[in-house]
Amino acid sequence: MRLKIIRRKETKLVNKILLYVIGIAISFVVGGIFLTSLDINPFAYYRDMLTIGLIGNYYPGKSVEGLLKLFVPLLITSLALSLAFKMRFWNIGGEGEFITGALFAAIVAFKLGDTLPGFVVIVLMCLAAFVSAGMIGLVTAHLKVKFNTNETLVTLMINYIMLYVIKYFGETKADWNFFLRTDSERPVFAKFPENAIMDGIKFGNFKLLYTVPAAIVIAVIVYFYLKRTKQGYEISVVGDSVNTAKYAGMNVYRITLRTIFLSAAFIGLAGAFTAAASGTISTDITNNVGWTGVIVAWLSRLSVPVIGVVSLLISVLQYGCQAASASYSQIDHNFADLMQGLFMFSILAAGFFSNFKIVRTGDKKDA
Amino acid sequence: MLEVLTLFLFNIVIYSIPLLYATCGEIMVEKSGSLNLGVEGTMAVGAIFGFLAGCKADSLPVAVLVSFITAALVGAIFCIFTITLQANQNVTGLTITTIGVAVYFFVGNGLGANWPVYRECTRLVSGFADIEIPGLSAIPVIGKAFFSHNILVYFAVIVAVLIWLYFEKTSIGLRLRAIGENPGAADSLGVDLVKYKYLHIMAGSGIMGIGGLYMGLNMGGTFEGSNCWINGYGWIAIALVIFANWSTTHAIVGTFVFGFFNTLRVYNMPIATTFPNTFGWLSKVPAQVFSALPFAVTLLVLIVNSVRSRKTNKSNAPTAIGVNYYREDR
Repeated sequence: MRLKIIRRKETKLVNKILLYVIGIAISFVVGGIFLTSLDINPFAYYRDMLTIGLIGNYYPGKSVEGLLKLFVPLLITSLALSLAFKMRFWNIGGEGEFITGALFAAIVAFKLGDTLPGFVVIVLMCLAAFVSAGMIGLVTAHLKVKFNTNETLVTLMINYIMLYVIKYFGETKADWNFFLRTDSERPVFAKFPENAIMDGIKFGNFKLLYTVPAAIVIAVIVYFYLKRTKQGYEISVVGDSVNTAKYAGMNVYRITLRTIFLSAAFIGLAGAFTAAASGTISTDITNNVGWTGVIVAWLSRLSVPVIGVVSLLISVLQYGCQAASASYSQIDHNFADLMQGLFMFSILAAGFFSNFKIVRTGDKKDA
Repeated sequence: MLEVLTLFLFNIVIYSIPLLYATCGEIMVEKSGSLNLGVEGTMAVGAIFGFLAGCKADSLPVAVLVSFITAALVGAIFCIFTITLQANQNVTGLTITTIGVAVYFFVGNGLGANWPVYRECTRLVSGFADIEIPGLSAIPVIGKAFFSHNILVYFAVIVAVLIWLYFEKTSIGLRLRAIGENPGAADSLGVDLVKYKYLHIMAGSGIMGIGGLYMGLNMGGTFEGSNCWINGYGWIAIALVIFANWSTTHAIVGTFVFGFFNTLRVYNMPIATTFPNTFGWLSKVPAQVFSALPFAVTLLVLIVNSVRSRKTNKSNAPTAIGVNYYREDR
């Protein structure tokens, strides 16, 4: 008996959902085995993780604020990456684009934060981040279309170059370096002027930053952009087949440049949001969002509503692991990455089984 | 003066060897037509399990073997998803990096105080000690810099040369390259694609694992909760594959060049003070520039190569890289 893989003609939605549920369940079981090996009760740990430390917490507002601070950049980055991925353009430069955005936002904040009114400063910060990060996208897209330069590797290199750029500003004590605090011996990033810090609406001791509604608005815009506009349609055609797009008279060069500019620019915007929300920058400001975003976008199969849900769940996972690690000394926040990886693998497997099936060869026609 | 130079060269070799393992492993993987972005995670897994097993058995061969096997198993996961389950290679690779590094921290944190003390594993330590090659190590400067290293340094160079011979001189290597260039054609000639890819990706991943082990041993085998031993070397290796133009013998030179920048980062002061007239300026160069240089140079090589290959096709990059092969799509 030999096994053979064949493509399914169609899969019922119920079966698809069932496959994904089974996949997630398996990840939790495997994660539970890992936890048990450290003599941690998985049920207790998962409870602490999934409730993000809200139980018995005197300041639940702070936990939710912390969760949203992870959620906003992850949501925007994943959405932006899905724009590129829809076109089969492998922008894995989220880290570098995010840093670029945060850096340029910080430059605006330090240079203009004292002189201009708050609203104007924030808008300028976002604009600077949007354009500067977008430029990286333009260059990569140009290289890809004109010279077929491997975009995965180009964006990967830019990630590291930008990482060392921000490290340079963060670690160099000098008179010209306006990024740093002047009253500290050690190099420490300075706090933004008051006007350059993101404000929000207060509900008791919980403050909803304006970045949260802004991120949701961006999600809605991206959804309609992809589903309802000509440009969104062009993205999916180029993604399916560059030749089809060419024969249909589309300008592939322009479409690629425009889309990748937007993809990178939105990630830069996420960087500006993060910088403005925390009122400063740091060398690990990205919190690996460029990598996690790839996983979220793919887990969600590039669907905008699903990205919303998945990025919220991944944020719960990350924040929950941080919160839970307070009560479990043997384990740290990296457990979130482990779970993330397990989810990813099970979703990849579920994706396979909803598109293909394994049959025995030699059988008559399969049912 | 000569001492500074000798130490400088000596350190370049020490710091670049893990890159040579990782690069050779990744070249093997990429020659089969797969782009595995999971080098960092694969190295992390090989490093920690190889180290722990090596300490337990108190033997370097055991450490090397276990790091090879565990990393090869990680490679098998990559194969199952990208070859059998047709999953996207970039995403699978990134997931492997995420989960591999997470496993590293999980095991390290989980062991806590039970973490083995490297220097108490005397036979492992002596296995990793420097060996002076008789005769050659007596040559001034070069002898110390190149011929008095631990055994894994020599082994790395041997591995690189063997892989080169394997690709250039054996028919199996030729068939593997054919798979990386044009899987459809190789398939039609009756090459068992799946078996070839699985075996070579697993072997390549295993070699990366040895590089990870080396890093752990070289850092004295202490687990730090905040920093992974691999510390971005896996990503540099991916860059190096391009820099070396997919040739393992070029990789020997390439790792030396990358190691040169890397060593300058920590060694620029002694060089600048010893040669104030010629290299005095080195002391003013920020450390981050040296760290970023390998990536910047690779970016440049990548761009120049692709612009040139428009006209001449000089690049050795496997044509089918990064694309999954599904027979019925042909």
